[in-house]
Amino acid sequence: MSFLGDVGPEQKFDPLVLFREGFGFVPSLAQAQSGLPRAMAAHAKLEEAVTFRDGAIPRIHKERILLGIAADRRDNYCVALDSGVLSSLGVPQVQIDDLLTDFWQASLSAPDQALLEFCLRLSRNASSVRFEDIEALRTVGFGDEAIVEAVVVTALALYRCTLSVALGPEPDFRMPNFPPKKDQVASEARLSAASSGSRPKAEKKRPYLPAPYFSPNTFRPFAVVQKTHGFIPNFFRAQTLRPDLLEAELEAVSLILLPEDFLTRVQKESILLTVSAANLNSYCVAVHCNLLRGLGLSAEDADQIAVDHHLSNLSKADIALLDFAVKLGTRFSEFSREDAAELQTLGFGQEQILESIVVTALNNFSNTLQMGLGIEPDFAPPSVFEKNKVNLSGARPTLMPPEGAVHLVDTSQDADSELVAQAQAGNLESFEELVRRHTQLIYRALIAILGDTADAQDAMQDTLLSAFKHIGGFQGRSKFSTWLVSIARNAALQRLRGRRNTESLDQNDSQEDRDFRPRQIAAWQENPEQNHSKSEIRQLVERGLLQLPAKYRIIVMLRDIEQLSTDDVAHQLGLTVPAVKTRLLRGRLMLREWLAPHLTTSARGAAQ
Amino acid sequence: MITCDEFFAEFADYLENQVSPEVRQEIELHLSQCSACHVLYDSSRKTIKIVSESNSFELPQKVFDPIIDRVMSKLRTGHS
Repeated sequence: MSFLGDVGPEQKFDPLVLFREGFGFVPSLAQAQSGLPRAMAAHAKLEEAVTFRDGAIPRIHKERILLGIAADRRDNYCVALDSGVLSSLGVPQVQIDDLLTDFWQASLSAPDQALLEFCLRLSRNASSVRFEDIEALRTVGFGDEAIVEAVVVTALALYRCTLSVALGPEPDFRMPNFPPKKDQVASEARLSAASSGSRPKAEKKRPYLPAPYFSPNTFRPFAVVQKTHGFIPNFFRAQTLRPDLLEAELEAVSLILLPEDFLTRVQKESILLTVSAANLNSYCVAVHCNLLRGLGLSAEDADQIAVDHHLSNLSKADIALLDFAVKLGTRFSEFSREDAAELQTLGFGQEQILESIVVTALNNFSNTLQMGLGIEPDFAPPSVFEKNKVNLSGARPTLMPPEGAVHLVDTSQDADSELVAQAQAGNLESFEELVRRHTQLIYRALIAILGDTADAQDAMQDTLLSAFKHIGGFQGRSKFSTWLVSIARNAALQRLRGRRNTESLDQNDSQEDRDFRPRQIAAWQENPEQNHSKSEIRQLVERGLLQLPAKYRIIVMLRDIEQLSTDDVAHQLGLTVPAVKTRLLRGRLMLREWLAPHLTTSARGAAQ
Repeated sequence: MITCDEFFAEFADYLENQVSPEVRQEIELHLSQCSACHVLYDSSRKTIKIVSESNSFELPQKVFDPIIDRVMSKLRTGHS
């Protein structure tokens, strides 16, 4: 039951031709991906849009940024490639050597130095980037389109470096001499001063740059994202200043992530999730947790992968795959080719290993881009991440707790935890108190599914007995109330099975659901509640709720009557957030249609 | 200005107060000029408010007390 549909990437270009046009040859970094042609195609697409063209930043300036980052990462392959390309673009060798020796002493204009410094810092310590840095680039004359481009170039540099570490391609050019880092005194001093801890933490403005509104109806790539992701992440919305770059990214993402010929989507999303977690990027963690839920994982399982995949119920091989990706993505200096050989002994094929490398590269691309543009989260991060927030500058990229399982919900924050422990020990008074606290929630969940008050009252008894029977198995991985709702849901579903015509709660949303359009268009009274008694309104709403299909009713009741957050509703029902949003809107609009005849301006006092 | 379809595509998030400032601005411009969408928005907002404040399906204590008592006595007899 995937909401992702079967949107396959279409590839209508030859990556080798693109590489030849852009570089004059096919770099061995690209050739090293030939085992997975769509990965090579994705890389070509990114290079073509980001590097090969003179965009808002001239190509030579972009190549300088790429060289600076490669040198900073001590990536010999990329340094050789970028030096060779700069030289082929007519940059004198002296200038290239100057850049490698110490960019701050190279003969660059002040704005160019500022831009290079910004990109280097973003590549090194993305979480130290602030809105003020963007402002500073604006004051030295860079337009917003150029700033987006610089962030994407930096992200691409890390994409290349991640690939080069893992694939170890033969250099395309002779290695230039470049000095050890300690000699790059001036640049080092500037970079470390800028990223030291004294920077203000307060960030009022996010995302950092304006982004014009693009509709999926008019910008086709967004229609595709809507289909593949179930929603349009802010990650993409925040880049609409540069539709050219955005389009290439979306194409690369489709080529890398959608096909399931080697790794499954769950494996790929798990890589993105664990490496983002290790990079302490809570934006990306929240997105990939939600996408994993969309792929059918429970919220608990997805959260566990984010917190510590070693304790998840993934197979031994998948855990090793994630270890491999985390090491490559965050501790690249420790990475060796033997890590890949180890995966082979666990049964992974060459293509799968190559794909995991490309996905890790894509992850570092996205993490950098998100931090550089200050993109706001689409979802609340999983509970364990809330404390950490986005900015953890200086933190080491090793998130794994040293030992023991981490509670996914801080149970000290669940007001029920003490009573739960007592009830688990067999204390009936504590159990009774717990049940009393949540009677309304349980009852409403039951009504929502059963659509009948008498049935719900009968099912209440089943629910409470079942809760007591199973309370020993409640492990505190979710809130107790969430667990109770799942028990109530099971009790209700069991009852439903005895009925003849049952509606499914899990049925997928059809196109019709999404296209539901309101019919009643007469204006409503100014204060409709004041023209009716409370009990009239309540009866009207209850009747309206009962005539809704169960799958909408339960969501409207939990969200609008029990006032749970959309995220909590998704958790409790094991649905994705986008699915909850779709059904919530549909349910609300159906209720609106129901209420309208009683509450429009021409219906004053007609609610009998 | 955005079209009615584009407005509708953002409507769910707008009701939940989850759109970016840029999108919000577009939507509010649209609402100020399109009376059909304005009615839809206004009545949906009122629907949510009415439903939220309706206390629908509140189970009175005199109904749930006996249910809980029945369950607890079952548990006590089966328990000891």
